[in-house]
Amino acid sequence: MRARKWYFAAVTGLSILAARVVYADFRAGYYTPTGPETIPQMLPNVASTDATYDAGQYPIYYPELAAGDGKDDVENNCELCHSPRYITMQPVMPAQAWSDEVNKMRKTFGASIPDDTAQKIIQYLGSHYTPETRKR
Amino acid sequence: MKTSRRNFIRTGVMAAAAAPALAAWPASLPKAADQQPSDRQPAPEFTGPGANPYWTSPGQFATYPQKAPLILLTDRPVQLETPRPYFLSTFTPNEAFFVRWHLQTIPNAVDLKEWRLHVEGNVERPLTLSFPELVTRFKSASVAAVNQCSGNSRSRLQPRVAGGQWGNGAMGNAAWTGAKLRDILDAAGVKSGSVQVQFEGLDRGLGPKGYGSNRFMKSLDLTNPVIDECLVAFAMNDEPLPMLNGFPARLIVPGYFATYWLKSLSSIRVLDTPDDNFWMKAAYRIPDTPRGNTTPDGMKSGKVATVPIAKMPVRSFLISPDGSMKIPAGFPLRLRGIAFSGYGGIKRVEASTENGANWSEARLGPDAGEYSFRTWSLDWTPKTAGRYQLAVRATDTKGNVQPDEGVWNPGGYLWNKIERQEIVVGEAS
Repeated sequence: MRARKWYFAAVTGLSILAARVVYADFRAGYYTPTGPETIPQMLPNVASTDATYDAGQYPIYYPELAAGDGKDDVENNCELCHSPRYITMQPVMPAQAWSDEVNKMRKTFGASIPDDTAQKIIQYLGSHYTPETRKR
Repeated sequence: MKTSRRNFIRTGVMAAAAAPALAAWPASLPKAADQQPSDRQPAPEFTGPGANPYWTSPGQFATYPQKAPLILLTDRPVQLETPRPYFLSTFTPNEAFFVRWHLQTIPNAVDLKEWRLHVEGNVERPLTLSFPELVTRFKSASVAAVNQCSGNSRSRLQPRVAGGQWGNGAMGNAAWTGAKLRDILDAAGVKSGSVQVQFEGLDRGLGPKGYGSNRFMKSLDLTNPVIDECLVAFAMNDEPLPMLNGFPARLIVPGYFATYWLKSLSSIRVLDTPDDNFWMKAAYRIPDTPRGNTTPDGMKSGKVATVPIAKMPVRSFLISPDGSMKIPAGFPLRLRGIAFSGYGGIKRVEASTENGANWSEARLGPDAGEYSFRTWSLDWTPKTAGRYQLAVRATDTKGNVQPDEGVWNPGGYLWNKIERQEIVVGEAS
């Protein structure tokens, strides 16, 4: 009787070992507590049967600009025509390239930015968005 | 103690007796600390100065009206990139089609009672076409055509250049249906002495009048044969155009970069002098050199002449596998992707599993027309574990072959270097 018990125990143990070998070691049931944010689904936009085709408003995703002198000048001037994402999207560029960009906005695109303000914007971009200075 | 042991044994015996049930057994065993699955991390922001290593721009996803989540480049004006998996099919779904506007004041809503397409300028009979007139007055035509941003893949350039930092997803293919531009021009009667036809949409900018920051306009030479292939499309993949892709109508210029494909078209203007507005004279120009290639020093010398960008050079892409997961050795893979050329259809696609050392000809998918994406596939079973550099190159019907060199110009246009994808093959036993 005792020998029979040991026999069962041995068979069981071997079965468990075999199961691990045959059915593989896999990892299951792990969830990470903080994932990327979820994105809501939107309702259809078909309120009326008139001739107006309304897609609704477009969302703004305001980026985090580097803190520092001149940030206000960027917000008060550059953002008239475009989102500051036009800054944060760009690759890191040498200070001279940022200076060229600001001058292009003034001369080519007609942005009415006074000289001293433009200098502050150039200084700001060259202080935070070059290969040496960009944080993220 | 005794009971639990007996239960343990009983459970074990039962499991041994019912082998299939054992499949679930190892998972319920205590897990050692080193068995934790890896933590998934968001792709880090990448702003250079090296080339963008990702297939698309390394940004976040965002949702916009009528759109699936797309990759956000900018929010005002709106620039959204199409994620890679949408390019497995010949036609890109409207919900996923990339978006690129130049000016911030873009239509949210259009009242078709008010909307008119004006055909004006140097014509005998100016026209004011309502939407129903556009749909019914002219014989509709359809074309499958790739719409690709001039700056698609701009983030690959070295040194990096300013502008929309697209990966490869600023492109899409759709079946466009609309009136032929030629029929519209004929109805208006182009006067002799006309040289170009200019297009403008409903979008406006906040910059001062007379500047490119105020209005966006593009022109084509009336002698350009593409005029006969242009459509004023009111349907995209048999649906109305999404607002962000130019509802209610946009210009289709088969084979040409998207800069000419004016959205929410409102004016067709026949000109008797060449268009010298900013978007023709200064922007969207490429060096008048082979492949539009030059260097920063070349540009500084001031000796590089430029011409307006035009047709799209031949390109091809590997869409799957995308390198997001290991592939088991011995797995019968099917490499899949797309190819296209603005110079005519695709003649051949070749793929390499040895970083371009050897090439195998891929099977081409259905032919939807010379300006369409053409799908391709190639079966390949990686036999052993390792890292494989896959590459793909296309040849168009004019004999143009994708080069293995990048291109550089200050606008960041015309990128068509052979694409590569590393995949990791793991041991299968």
